[in-house]
Amino acid sequence: MFIDIDCHQQKKFGQSAYGDYFTSKRYPDSGRLVAVLSDGLGSGIKADILACMTATMLLKFIEAESDIAKACEIIMNSLPVCQVRKISYSTFSAIDYEDGTAKIVEEGNPEFIWIRGGKVLQPPYEVITSKTFPNRHMHIYHISLQLEDRLIFCSDGVTQAGIGSRELNLGLRREGLIKVLEDILKKSPSISSSDLSKAIVRAAQDVEPGRKAIDDISAVSIYCRMPRNALVFTGPPYYQDKDNYYARIFNAFEGKKAVCGGTTANLVSRELGVPVETPLSMNIGDLPGLSTMDGVDLVTEGILTLTRTSEYLEQTRTSYPDDAAGRLVGFLLDSDCITFMVGARLNQAHYDPNLPVEIEIRKNVVKKIANLLENKFMKKIIIQYM
Amino acid sequence: MKKVEVKLCLGTTCFVMGSSKLQELIDIIPEKFGDKVSVSGSACLELCSSSTEYSKAPYVKVDDDVVEEATVEKVLEVIEGKLK
Repeated sequence: MFIDIDCHQQKKFGQSAYGDYFTSKRYPDSGRLVAVLSDGLGSGIKADILACMTATMLLKFIEAESDIAKACEIIMNSLPVCQVRKISYSTFSAIDYEDGTAKIVEEGNPEFIWIRGGKVLQPPYEVITSKTFPNRHMHIYHISLQLEDRLIFCSDGVTQAGIGSRELNLGLRREGLIKVLEDILKKSPSISSSDLSKAIVRAAQDVEPGRKAIDDISAVSIYCRMPRNALVFTGPPYYQDKDNYYARIFNAFEGKKAVCGGTTANLVSRELGVPVETPLSMNIGDLPGLSTMDGVDLVTEGILTLTRTSEYLEQTRTSYPDDAAGRLVGFLLDSDCITFMVGARLNQAHYDPNLPVEIEIRKNVVKKIANLLENKFMKKIIIQYM
Repeated sequence: MKKVEVKLCLGTTCFVMGSSKLQELIDIIPEKFGDKVSVSGSACLELCSSSTEYSKAPYVKVDDDVVEEATVEKVLEVIEGKLK
């Protein structure tokens, strides 16, 4: 089972910083996933700092402590109180998932919504009251997740959206959000977490008068699903007599496939007996264009395209140029578990001093891309050197 | 008469050494030679790694002839030679 998790946010109208903060970490070896959403008091820079500090500290605490409840209690007991408003500096929701079970702790944030088979489940919870601040309580849940389950976490910017407006005097509230979710899921039952969290934020913003967010809006979506596998074959294997062996592994792989590299494309074509074609009409932008091969979803040039791909992944953007690297980004982000088969054979010609220096060593570029995919886009990555 | 086949290498080495600029041949060749010449790309002609001297990129193939350090002019010249 793969946990597809993503967050989308909208700043409070007129503010330049987000007052909610989301952070998460995946542990590829154990399949563990820890995520925290924090809502800082107020808005703008101050809230941004409070939320960011709470979320990142909590993530580290949960990582270090074996018990998420203990970690959260320490944070709850130590969060300062705002001198002016006498309320907590920040609120949070935290989830620690491993092997089908999730432990969830909430303090001050709206209750999460658990949807299974189109129905909202009401899990039991335990309440722990802070010893230092009796008005602070945290809810602890232990739940078992199944395939196709969804969990939705949000900041109060979602549930209170539209408050005071003529149509929604009390705001969207939990009931309104559930209705929004039901509508979306009826229309697109297998919507990705990325799209669902965007749709929630959009729905919340839509009920605000003039679409001006009166508070920071954040939605985190978790979707338990079968992993979508992808394989990227780049670079010829170090031992040439292994070409056929690796080409067969590539061929037998179940999932989407990409080949990055002209020599690699020729190798796969030769070993599998499938012609590779490079129609010049498919050149876009200043990167070498795409080639086509039956049974392979994407065929690109190697090192230049990979380097550009890592640049695109590094930037935070909502859409990517429609060149070969943009297509590769789309291919990667559409997958959950990505395997890289990286050949170690050197192409002597790349070491010609006449070539631009930015031609990097393949291993390094792939490592950079893998790091970004793992830490920024929360993908599961396997790298196999050949 | 059989069509003359032009293949531009779009591998990494050739691309950075100038084959990106050869792409204007896509427009020039049909204009100049009509349907007597076909032009297409290649993921890699594998010439940079097999040649003993590595510095002759970009490579273009006109039928079986290899054009080293190819430029638009050089390629056109070779095609004209073939059509004579």
